[in-house]
Amino acid sequence: MGLRTHYGDREILKSISVTIPRGKTTVILGGSGCGKSTFLKHIIGLLKPTSGSILIDGKDITGMKEAELNEVRKRMGVLFQGAALLNSMTLADNVALPIREHTGLNESTIQIMVRMKLDLVGLSGFEGFYPSQLSGGMKKRAGLARAMALDPEFLFFDEPSAGLDPVTAAGLDELILRLRNVFRMTIVVVTHELPSVFMIADYVIMLDAGEVIFSGSLDDLRASGNPRIQMFLERKPEQESYSPDDYFRIIAGE
Amino acid sequence: MKIEISDYNGTKVFGISGDIDMNSSPELRRELLDLVVRKVPVLLVDFKGVSYIDSSGIATFVEGLKGMMPYGGRLKFFGIPQGIREIFSFSKLDRVFEIYPSIEDAFNR
Repeated sequence: MGLRTHYGDREILKSISVTIPRGKTTVILGGSGCGKSTFLKHIIGLLKPTSGSILIDGKDITGMKEAELNEVRKRMGVLFQGAALLNSMTLADNVALPIREHTGLNESTIQIMVRMKLDLVGLSGFEGFYPSQLSGGMKKRAGLARAMALDPEFLFFDEPSAGLDPVTAAGLDELILRLRNVFRMTIVVVTHELPSVFMIADYVIMLDAGEVIFSGSLDDLRASGNPRIQMFLERKPEQESYSPDDYFRIIAGE
Repeated sequence: MKIEISDYNGTKVFGISGDIDMNSSPELRRELLDLVVRKVPVLLVDFKGVSYIDSSGIATFVEGLKGMMPYGGRLKFFGIPQGIREIFSFSKLDRVFEIYPSIEDAFNR
């Protein structure tokens, strides 16, 4: 609510107020540099805002101490853009790490869980592989297996399709849909990939220059008369924002 | 989670209620493996009161079944609520575990 944040003097998020519905897949949409990844980092408690609050089950996480915030984070799984796997560990150990760290489960139970998670993302048999031995798509799926290690209530994806071929990206979208349907997870996906948006989104939040310009269903998004939204949906490039004279003055340093 | 062990025509029944999650799975594992070690031939598990099961709960049952298989023991589930059935199905484990609609079916087959 009223979320504002700055990088130095630059205001990145300009008093954002949105609600993310439970048990649905919410897509945070917007062009490059609109603040969507920054917004995600705030929701998962990695960044603190300049002002405003982030309520999860009615509790504001922005004022929480690290220990309290860690309890909230245990309920979250995050698939970062680069998958963020530990290169010195096998896939099995990468997935087992949060389970070993945060539960008192027996090692034999953990090993079965790890095999289940890797199978879920189509990586059965790759337990002993290291991240460097995997393709980009496989790393993403391994990252997802680790994000799901603790059966999170909230699953966050930062640009899941980035760097993936269309078939692999569609497979990941399919998996996101199944996770929502079966486990009733609350899923938040940051992306600018329109095919993904139309496949997985129940709810869309669109950011533009640090402001929310839309929140609602896919049908409402398509029906929106907002020219910025229409430009995005129709993949139209932005108009030149200054005249040739202005451009000359900029590059001439006047 | 609560576990009640009872008897149905001479067969052990595990009546489980509440959430089977990462906090309660270790207790389930202790109770389950205790029976497996004693080579109980058939174990019926009543899921009617189970409100939630996570992957640690499913893994615990996989471990139990794995322990029963060498001596020909059978682990039979019944009364599984639809939402939990979907989780078993998603994990492809509905084809691994014996799942029956009622205790009579589980006992007689």
